[in-house]
Amino acid sequence: MTGWEVAADHYNYYVTIFLMVAGLYIVIARGNMIKKLVGLGLFQTSVYLLYLAPGRIIGGTAPIYDKNYEVYSNPLPHVLMLTAIVVGVATLAVGLALVVRISEEYGTIDEDEIFAKDEDQ
Amino acid sequence: MKFDLILRVGTKLMLPFILIFAPYVHFHGDYGPGGGFQAGVIIAAAFILYAMVFGLDAAKRIAPQSVIDRLLPVGVLIFAAAGLPAIVSGQGRFLDFGVYGHDFLHAHEWGILIVETGVIVTVASTMLAIFYAFADRGRQ
Repeated sequence: MTGWEVAADHYNYYVTIFLMVAGLYIVIARGNMIKKLVGLGLFQTSVYLLYLAPGRIIGGTAPIYDKNYEVYSNPLPHVLMLTAIVVGVATLAVGLALVVRISEEYGTIDEDEIFAKDEDQ
Repeated sequence: MKFDLILRVGTKLMLPFILIFAPYVHFHGDYGPGGGFQAGVIIAAAFILYAMVFGLDAAKRIAPQSVIDRLLPVGVLIFAAAGLPAIVSGQGRFLDFGVYGHDFLHAHEWGILIVETGVIVTVASTMLAIFYAFADRGRQ
């Protein structure tokens, strides 16, 4: 295989890295806390993809006992990411709860405005 | 949004299909992508859509908070109880799904389906509980 073919074969990693860097950028660059949580979600999604893409076997089926199939995808990364998704939902709910509390206390969810209000006191 | 005609009619058209799609994803779960987690979220999404368009009070009339709070542990109990029939009938040990049918494959399919039913109940009620907790704040 030429270098180009090797590079094109790994396109799932480019998508993963793009999503990861985009999520990280949103977390750092945006002041709005809801947008920060969206960025965090994007970051998590890239991690799911990093694990799921190598676990998938082309032509493979679910790891179910069946005489018609012989090639199975590896279920371990799928189960691992199922747990990660559940944990992600829980942490997102906790983050949103914190944002709701901050909004009630400060009247805003923008980071710069919150810092400005803290300085005033 | 309570008086928006297009949203109200559109939601009423969508709801039955969303609620039918959830069991489809559920029963499809052992061979294809799907299962209890996704189906539970789809069921919860139908109720959340209803709550967003028709108001939280209307949603709480069909899915009251007390029922949701009780369904949370019921799902976990179904999940755990799926393993018990083997012990009760004395045919095997905990989580031996062989008692659900005469054929090994069918018995295990039933076992997975019952476990997934527990997952569906817990996930759907958890999503709704989280939604109610957020939507309820500052209303009193």
